[in-house]
Amino acid sequence: MHIIRYHNTPLYNPAASFTSLRSEMDRLFDAAFPTLSSLQRDGFFGGLTGEFPLDLYQEKDAFVVRAELPGFRKEDLSVEVDDSVLTLTGHRESESKPDSKEKNGTTATQEQRVSRSVSLPDNVNVEKIRAAYENGILTVTLPRSEEAKPKQVAIEVK
Amino acid sequence: MSNTLTKNEPRELAPRAPRRTVIPRYNVRETADAFTITAHVPGVDKASLETTVHGENLTVSGRRTWSVPEDWTPIHREITSDDYRLVLELDHRVNRDAIRAELSQGVLTLTVPKAEAVKPRKIEIVG
Repeated sequence: MHIIRYHNTPLYNPAASFTSLRSEMDRLFDAAFPTLSSLQRDGFFGGLTGEFPLDLYQEKDAFVVRAELPGFRKEDLSVEVDDSVLTLTGHRESESKPDSKEKNGTTATQEQRVSRSVSLPDNVNVEKIRAAYENGILTVTLPRSEEAKPKQVAIEVK
Repeated sequence: MSNTLTKNEPRELAPRAPRRTVIPRYNVRETADAFTITAHVPGVDKASLETTVHGENLTVSGRRTWSVPEDWTPIHREITSDDYRLVLELDHRVNRDAIRAELSQGVLTLTVPKAEAVKPRKIEIVG
């Protein structure tokens, strides 16, 4: 026999009270540390950081680089070749909207720059590099230069 | 869906072989009258993205439409070929009939308006 009866009644639902406790703690935390939560909202944890994934392929006459760079404007992407190093850079400035629930009320401009470099083989025709941006994927096609393509030599069989 | 977006292959999201999915990187922001959800779904175009509301769940599924051409040799790969799937639970605070979706360069923006009952309002004093 128990001295204190354990009430497993619908009034006490452990799962539900945990949820409300957690949301209450989230609320308290947000209220106490607005800057941290605004950083989180502005992508400090969720946004792109210094790197982004990329793929490298070899096509018949070219090398192809594909990079995941979602949410940029075309003019904010740059593709540069310097001394056989290909550099892809994305840059943007996001201004927090005045109607968003900023606790401190500042409209800070946040700058974001992401960049990756790939060293290129010697036989790339730098003049003919093309780049396209579609569905958040930047595709750079690097044609191989003529002289480096495998030459077809017909050898006569005697 | 518009046929102009259709390329060579049929684009319907009808059952295919089950593919692996990943949760896209996403953010939820709250404004006075809506929640704004942004999800990164690079490689997905409008025709292969689907946003559905079923009961409590808001589901975003996006299928990657690009696949490596047969005569290409991968040298180095970091981009996953998994499709995207994000399920979020909606509660009574939102107006689920007025959700808007917009896709731009691999970023999906969902605007989920708040229900009238939870919007801040001013009560006029009568008398």
